[in-house]
Amino acid sequence: VKTLLDCQERVDLKIVLITGGRGSRLRLSQLGLGIDSTIRLIRNAPFSGPLVISFDGTEIAIGKGIAAKIRVEELR
Amino acid sequence: MKIAMVGQPNSGKSTIFNAVAGYKSISSNFPGTTVRYAESTVRLNGLVSDLVDFPGCYSLSPSNEVSLEVRDQLIATGFDVIIDVVDASKLGRGLPLTMELMELNIPMVLCLNMMDDARQKGMSFDINSLANMLGIPVLPTIASRDIGVKRVFAQVQDASNHNNHVTKSRLRYPEDVEEMIGDLTQAVNDERTLTVSVPPRFLAIKLLEDDKYFVQNIQQSNSGALIKKARQLQHTLGVSGREPPETALAMERNSLATGICHKVTTIGSPRKDWREGLDDLLMHRAWGYIFMLLILAGMFYGVFAIGVTIETPLLEGFTRIEGYLGDTMGNKGILFVLAKNALYGISGGVAIVLPYLVPFLVVLTILEDIGYLPRVAYLLDSLMHRVGLHGCAIVPILLGYGCSVPAVMATRILPTQRDRTIAAVLATLVPCSARSVVLYGLVAYFLGASAALFIYILNIIVVVLTGKMLSSLMPEVSPGMIMEVPRYQLPTVQTILHKLWFRLREFVVIAWPLLILGSIVLGIVEFLNWDAPVNGMLSPLTMVLGLPAAVGITLIFGVLRKELVLVMLIQALGTQDVLSVLTPGQVMVFAVFVTFYVPCVATIAILRNELGARATTVVVGITLLLATGLALLTRLACAILW
Repeated sequence: VKTLLDCQERVDLKIVLITGGRGSRLRLSQLGLGIDSTIRLIRNAPFSGPLVISFDGTEIAIGKGIAAKIRVEELR
Repeated sequence: MKIAMVGQPNSGKSTIFNAVAGYKSISSNFPGTTVRYAESTVRLNGLVSDLVDFPGCYSLSPSNEVSLEVRDQLIATGFDVIIDVVDASKLGRGLPLTMELMELNIPMVLCLNMMDDARQKGMSFDINSLANMLGIPVLPTIASRDIGVKRVFAQVQDASNHNNHVTKSRLRYPEDVEEMIGDLTQAVNDERTLTVSVPPRFLAIKLLEDDKYFVQNIQQSNSGALIKKARQLQHTLGVSGREPPETALAMERNSLATGICHKVTTIGSPRKDWREGLDDLLMHRAWGYIFMLLILAGMFYGVFAIGVTIETPLLEGFTRIEGYLGDTMGNKGILFVLAKNALYGISGGVAIVLPYLVPFLVVLTILEDIGYLPRVAYLLDSLMHRVGLHGCAIVPILLGYGCSVPAVMATRILPTQRDRTIAAVLATLVPCSARSVVLYGLVAYFLGASAALFIYILNIIVVVLTGKMLSSLMPEVSPGMIMEVPRYQLPTVQTILHKLWFRLREFVVIAWPLLILGSIVLGIVEFLNWDAPVNGMLSPLTMVLGLPAAVGITLIFGVLRKELVLVMLIQALGTQDVLSVLTPGQVMVFAVFVTFYVPCVATIAILRNELGARATTVVVGITLLLATGLALLTRLACAILW
């Protein structure tokens, strides 16, 4: 299983596990993101900055630290 | 009637509010712009109502101070109706909040806003069946073009009369979850000693979510049995999903919302437009930074070019009037002093401040409303982390270039007190539009644009270093960034003008009269030679900085309003040709000092409010030291270089 950090741009992904802290999980869930959400990585970060994923028509920037705690699997 | 406007960030609450209440709440394409409530009394069909524009919150589970406050207000103030504003193009994400709000048992109207955006994305909705599923009226709007807003408010009255959905909330969690909620609601009902003023079912849900505020509240009123029961149920909840209790119910709401969304939405093919691919450039790992620098530099030089073009002929005109006054009234009498100073006050506003302030605010508004600022936040996130701050701390710092007061308030979006404190300090260090006017009108005008640009860059370096220092003094790992990147929007000319006036009004109505009055007062003080003691008191400072003693008093005025510094300087020096009295080096020293020293009274007040008196005193002290130190360095550098 890989984390969001290891993924290629423009690939559809499914979240299988989030191991982050309470605060960031809550924030993610409020944006609709949680286990089983289907997301697409659209921008990998410059200079260890955040990634951008697209989810349900929204683009969300996620810091590297949090991205490392989001386990995903690729959808084909 | 009391009406609350609630919704997720950037769903257009403020735009709707402004459409009915006149421009009273700053709207922009930047999630989290409104952190303070705007309130207005409006007449709806002859009925006087109180309308409250709440700051955007994603959910009623408090993840930061803003959403906590929204919840407290909603519970404490008996609202008659809630207008829930949802971005239609993100319906699936907006509905979970709708579901939470419905549990408050207050009549609701759902406003499906930004229909143009949704259409552009190829989405269309079966509004009737959505209204049916939710059991509340649903109204489509395009608030930015004032389409459908009137109908929303017509419906509001209806809703308050009929108390529509309250008795028949049709949205249900899955059976097993409903059972748990039912159990816990029963337990809440049985508990007689409870002092929480929310509907039992709402409380039950929040307890299941392990909401620490309600849990604490209940523990205080000493009903351990209730908490114990909630904890037990949470375990079962946790087993059925892989989510912890606080997000398990949120995810249930999300999936329920997604289900509804699928049923009522038809997705066609999205129309391509100018937004397509723009972020590939503006958020690109290399080009993004280059464009950012180009845009910011373009903004700087553009504003300066416009300002100079307007300032120069206006100042010449005013100098001519001054000469005429001197010829007719004689150069000595008190009458001439009064007339001359009133003229300085007027010309300071028209010829010096407004030529820069207006284009500066227009450009800032455009960048804000197009939605560029979140991109800047994205690009600078790793820098912010290197400084030791939360990525979103860039938001208040960017807003600081407009005005320190809303910038300090915007720190509320940050999750920890430590991040809020540091961001507030940094946001006050950034030159606000008033200080920018000083940089443009004094430094750029007399010494050239690059000299002013130098101070901006010096400021950025100081901000970064200060941030680094403060964050290592208060070490703590900042949680990473989770930020919505909004779609680009083209602002309408009307919105830009409204917003411009909203921001200018303070200058025109308060600062400018103060400018004229201050100028006259300073004239009289000088005429009577009373300025000597004040300047004498400040002379240790002015002497150290190598400035004429006469500028001392202008610094006092600057604490009232930063723009005053520039006009009062001209006043105190007795000429509009600053370089005939000050050397270029002295101008630089003065400008550097003014950029960093003590925040203005309005900012001090808001800092006191947000950080407390002690921290504010520290901020004032630090900025004074910082300003003095940097001004000294500038003096040294100028002595060597010039």
